[in-house]
Amino acid sequence: MESERTGEYLEAIYKQQSKKSPVSTSALAEDLKVSLPAVTDMLRHMKEQGLIDYRPNRGTTLTEDGEKKALGLIRRHRLWERFLTDVLGMKWDKVHDEACKLEHIESPDLEKGLANILGDVNTCPHGQPIPDQQGKIKEEKASPLSRARINQAVSVVAVDREDSQLLKSIEKLGLKPGTELKIIEKGANGNLKAEMNGRAVNLGGEMAAVIMTHPAPKKIDTGLQSKIPLTDLDTGQTGIVNLYTGKRGMLGRCLSLGFTPGSPIKMVENYHKGPVLVKIHDTSVAVGRGLAEKIMVVKTGETC
Amino acid sequence: MLNSLEKKNITVALAGAPNVGKSTVFNLLTGLSQHVGNWPGKTVEQKTGTFRHGDILMNVVDLPGTYSLTANSAEEQIARDYLVKENPDIVVAVLNAASLERNLYLVAELIELAPCMVIALNMVDVAEQQGMKIDPAALSEVLDIPVIPIVANKNRGLNELVEAISHECVQPKKVGKVKHIEYGRDVKKIIDRVEELVPENAAGPYPRHWAAMKLLEGDNQISKLVRERITTSESAKLESYLRENENAAVTIATLRYEWVGRMVSVVQERPPMGQVSISERIDRAATHPIYGLLILLGIMGLLFTFVYSLGIPIQQFLETNIIERGQALISQNLAFLPSWLIGFLNTGLLAGVGTVLTFIPILFFFFIAFSVLEDVGYTARAAFVTDRFMHLLGLHGKSCLPLVLGFGCNVPAVMGTRIIDSRRARLLTILITPLVPCTGRMAVVTLVAAAFFGSLAIVVSIGIVIFSMIILIIIGFILNRFVIKGEPSSLIMELPLYHVPNPKLIFLVTWQSLKAFIKRAGTVILAVSLAVWLLSVIPTGDISTSILAQIGKWLEPLGSLMGLGWQMMVALISSFIAKENTIATLGVLTSGQAVGITDQLHALLTPAAALAFLVIQVLFIPCIATVSAIKTETNGWRWPIFVILVQLVLSFSIAIAVYQVAHLFI
Repeated sequence: MESERTGEYLEAIYKQQSKKSPVSTSALAEDLKVSLPAVTDMLRHMKEQGLIDYRPNRGTTLTEDGEKKALGLIRRHRLWERFLTDVLGMKWDKVHDEACKLEHIESPDLEKGLANILGDVNTCPHGQPIPDQQGKIKEEKASPLSRARINQAVSVVAVDREDSQLLKSIEKLGLKPGTELKIIEKGANGNLKAEMNGRAVNLGGEMAAVIMTHPAPKKIDTGLQSKIPLTDLDTGQTGIVNLYTGKRGMLGRCLSLGFTPGSPIKMVENYHKGPVLVKIHDTSVAVGRGLAEKIMVVKTGETC
Repeated sequence: MLNSLEKKNITVALAGAPNVGKSTVFNLLTGLSQHVGNWPGKTVEQKTGTFRHGDILMNVVDLPGTYSLTANSAEEQIARDYLVKENPDIVVAVLNAASLERNLYLVAELIELAPCMVIALNMVDVAEQQGMKIDPAALSEVLDIPVIPIVANKNRGLNELVEAISHECVQPKKVGKVKHIEYGRDVKKIIDRVEELVPENAAGPYPRHWAAMKLLEGDNQISKLVRERITTSESAKLESYLRENENAAVTIATLRYEWVGRMVSVVQERPPMGQVSISERIDRAATHPIYGLLILLGIMGLLFTFVYSLGIPIQQFLETNIIERGQALISQNLAFLPSWLIGFLNTGLLAGVGTVLTFIPILFFFFIAFSVLEDVGYTARAAFVTDRFMHLLGLHGKSCLPLVLGFGCNVPAVMGTRIIDSRRARLLTILITPLVPCTGRMAVVTLVAAAFFGSLAIVVSIGIVIFSMIILIIIGFILNRFVIKGEPSSLIMELPLYHVPNPKLIFLVTWQSLKAFIKRAGTVILAVSLAVWLLSVIPTGDISTSILAQIGKWLEPLGSLMGLGWQMMVALISSFIAKENTIATLGVLTSGQAVGITDQLHALLTPAAALAFLVIQVLFIPCIATVSAIKTETNGWRWPIFVILVQLVLSFSIAIAVYQVAHLFI
């Protein structure tokens, strides 16, 4: 029982620490819904165990040992969540509470078995990254949807709150990590209207604050979005240059003319025969069809 | 440190991408003081000139237009070798304000090599028309380089530019103040590691750090240079490290463009998106597969009409009034001279070189028309439209223009292949260029066709042109498929914005091209004309018993397969000097008979033989000027000899076939 409580504290400190370090005692009390004196007690106790660095007036930071423990817990928590949704078929709004209990079983074999059965996953069902065995975690830089600009295309990385009610309503919208959104309108109280898979949806301010996103073009790196040859862009369509798959000999020429990954490109003329004419870095460039087939792009939209 | 009193002679290098108006700036600065030659060992044009400002004499060197300084092409190699080895006092980077983003990429590379630089921000008027607002002062501040806004083709801002150049040169050089691009920790680590793997001095004259970066970018020239100077084990280490970091090339270019993006966002306000510029609107038609082709054909039609309707009358005027009258004058007034000298003046000089020179007006209009198309920006569109067809021959669109120029004269066409960036495509284009019927050949074709086919003459003439085009396509196809090794290259080319042509620039370009042609006529053509003339007078002074006639008679058995007598064979051989010489030679061979050339032709040829003669005439070996141009452009005798042999076999076999079939019918 006692180790479970310690675990909860470690996780809470770890998460808060990533936003603001050192972590204030009152913030912890609020997060864990425990009285202030109880928190102080617990922190003293944890300091004795060498898990945290605690100074009454300044706040708390994790020691190396404490951080390792916290990451181990987070790893198990997220692996279990995955197991519950992917293997047992539970809803994503139900798995958090179960995982909170299961994460405290410290068994290396069980952990290995879990990782094996899940295969190559690196996030929990809510999109949070799972630390690896060595306790390394790959945090994706992401910002809340509420901060996205109007007309900016973003893709959902994670949901940053394990509240079952909220998760349920998010699921109802059909929104999950990987979904692409474009904000159409911003209303009062942080309410948003967004375009998603070709339809408009309304999102509450609370929801927008916890849905973590990053700009859509960044998804090129994750390889989630399909790459198409430049020749598949129709006249008027726009895209982002992704990579060049042709011979090394032409690479330098392509690069110096501005066909670098991430460059916005617009198809000016494509008659599906003969060379194409594109606009890139403010100039019109003619590209022979053979070469254009070797330049991969990610389509971003249609304009005219 | 430079001091205005110490040093009054400075070297100014003009750098810039293609289509930024760099030549305009160069021409405005240097005018007629310019000298056009080749860069040592390269068939890339080198233009130099001088300009005096106060007591400073500026030696201006026009570097080839390049988008980057990685050796993707001979131009890029020349540009950066010049910067590294010649170390000019100042580099003027000419940028097109209307495509600042692309142009700053070169600046990103230049600041790594050029300690002293001035930016000439050209075409600020065009940028304004497109709704872009550029702040030159802000650009100057972020780059820490003087930026002078100019409009070169309206001669605006040039004085300020010159002021800035001389100001920078007399000022103490800013040491260590040049802002290099931050490539970030990861890339920097990789570059540093490569630098460690390249021993001291292995990079030759190039800075080591810079060479390390070029190695990562996959620069052929630098890697060859370094590999030659290091041991095998060092080379193996370097190679494997470079292979591991193959992606660095892309990363470096991307980071440069990101740097450029940051610069641009500071200094440029963009027009609202979706605005379609005039250039884009014109391009909708000009690059359309059908309308574009019609426009191209229309423009070519206009071009030829323009050139011939103006050029031919002048050519004929020169021929009757200078050559023929000159010959008459010499015969009448200089009769006291020995007859061999008169023969030399009349036949060798006037009929040979003189006739070639009468074609200058035609070429003049051709060059003008072409430089107008180039300056307006249309040539790139023509390349775009024809790219699809040129692929059949393993070429791309850029090869189309030299070939069209070939209709005027094959010599500038061969030289014009310099615009083609791939070596293979360039060689292929050079090899098929002599199959384009030039003005000289068309003059003979028109004359012979008119003599034999009456009202059908035009049909026959056009038929001959189409016929030689078909042969060109077949030969090109065979060369591409079976003879020339290597991969067909791809088209990738900027389409510049259209703009109003600049008469001064067109005049200068035309003048340079004509000068090159006249020089050739004055040397190679003169020498060969004299040689042929000698052959026609030795030993007796009478052409019908001369060595030339002997050769003709010796070739008669071959000629008879085509219905051609020895006179026609001699006329054919003499076309080696210049295609139109055929007529002159016939004139000489049959002189003394008081009938016109048409009647003489009738005496020498049957209609079937005339047809065979037309065929062999258009396909026969290229003239000496073209051969010498091919030799220069391909750096050796291998390809000109190849061309001669191919066309010799081709022209004889086809002409024989034509005669054998035709004489059954006509």
